[in-house]
Amino acid sequence: MGDLLKRLAAPLVVVFLVLLTIVSMVSDRRAREDGGRNLPWWQAALLEITAPVERLVSAPFDAVSEFYDGYVDLIGVRVENRRLERRIAEIEAENLQFREALVASGHLGRVASMRDEVEIPMLPAEVVGLDVAPWFRSVLVDRGTRHGVEPGHPVITHEGVVGVVTATSGHAAKTMLLLDRQSAVDALVQRSRARGVVRGVGRDRLEFEFVVRGADVVEGDDLVTSGLGGIYPKGLRLGRVAELREAGGRLTRIAVIEPAVDLGQLEQVFVMLRRGPQMDLLYRPNLPAEDLDGPAPVSAPPPDQAATEGEEGAG
Amino acid sequence: MKSSLALFSLGLTALIVQGAFARVLPPPWCPDLAWLVVVGIGLRWPSFVSGVVLAVALGYAMDLLSGSLMGQHALLRLVSYLAAALAARQLDLSGGVPVGIFVLVMTIVYGFATMMSLSFFVDASWPGIDVIGAALAHAFVNVLAAGPVLSLVERVLARFADEEVGRRAPMSLGLEARRVGRGGLQ
Repeated sequence: MGDLLKRLAAPLVVVFLVLLTIVSMVSDRRAREDGGRNLPWWQAALLEITAPVERLVSAPFDAVSEFYDGYVDLIGVRVENRRLERRIAEIEAENLQFREALVASGHLGRVASMRDEVEIPMLPAEVVGLDVAPWFRSVLVDRGTRHGVEPGHPVITHEGVVGVVTATSGHAAKTMLLLDRQSAVDALVQRSRARGVVRGVGRDRLEFEFVVRGADVVEGDDLVTSGLGGIYPKGLRLGRVAELREAGGRLTRIAVIEPAVDLGQLEQVFVMLRRGPQMDLLYRPNLPAEDLDGPAPVSAPPPDQAATEGEEGAG
Repeated sequence: MKSSLALFSLGLTALIVQGAFARVLPPPWCPDLAWLVVVGIGLRWPSFVSGVVLAVALGYAMDLLSGSLMGQHALLRLVSYLAAALAARQLDLSGGVPVGIFVLVMTIVYGFATMMSLSFFVDASWPGIDVIGAALAHAFVNVLAAGPVLSLVERVLARFADEEVGRRAPMSLGLEARRVGRGGLQ
């Protein structure tokens, strides 16, 4: 009997571990469907230890990368500066025209009230680690539950959407980028209001899948979040249509999207400290109506001010 | 026990160094050092149960620092360990070229297994045809990194296993044919 147990020990350990990993995967999948989760203590502890160590080890690599990028950036900076000055002048003129048009159509008041609705407190955070596996796209940021970050919170920069927090520990949060193959965001074409879904495909570009019938999508169109889907507020920039792909005979078409944010060069991001209203309605259905509004809307500080506040908070 | 702790520490260190590499190298060109440690353990360490547990533990650590489902890398690393342990028993993987070919094939299989398992468990988009190029690039850098990493694993085993190999009874899966010395420690 003892001999039999000894012979079966190794296979039993293997079977147990296989079952354990499969149960973990199923459990994690369910947690993500519910908007993510706070990590259990042992995982959180490991993350708390590895995140600062990874940051420390990465410092020399970052320095080399920054030096190289700085040198490359210097090349042609004068030409780029003149081009940007021209572009700013063009945009200012366009902006003025849009304002005039809005005033003329009486929409300015409504736009202003909409802006008040989407203003959400934001927390600046620093990217301390990139995904260690080549088949996934996520980053680790240095703010966690101690700072009010929760799974399901959107992460953005001043350029647009970065991704969503999927797991948190006390001082760190794992953020799934838009580029990840598990990412899907309900989106609108800003110009024509055509709707579709922006998906990550694991590469540096995104794909926008939309129904062909009645959809007006052309190269150069900007895509923004639709506010549906329950995570991102409406109107955040996702990217620009770079290419339209023909798919003869199909009901849907695919547009290749250049992300608004350079997700390969992330350093500073902002965590929006509130999940979308749909998320709250879906996953906190028993709360009274006033609680569903989350924290009192506070005007998001401009990026410079927010960064200063974050530094003070971190100190 | 000392060997297990030393190998676990080596795996975690590999994971952190890998994270640092990820900041300067595009994803497919970043070697999976922690996975190579697991393969090294499978190829060079005779302690089967400890090896399996280590592979799963390092897989969970990887899951923590990656966007994968929790347990996904743990499962795939367990399978990688089993494949390496079986290959070490059935094949002569003592030279650099056979080990390189083994790592090349295993990296490609690992990549596709990752995508398939993700598509099975989550509604993830299926990657395009260019994923083959990414998988080949990743396999290439893993082959380049395999030599140094396996050498490190052997050094750790040589440092800590001398006292343990003598007193530990071989496991019952016929893995006693694999000795620490085989393939590089002589």
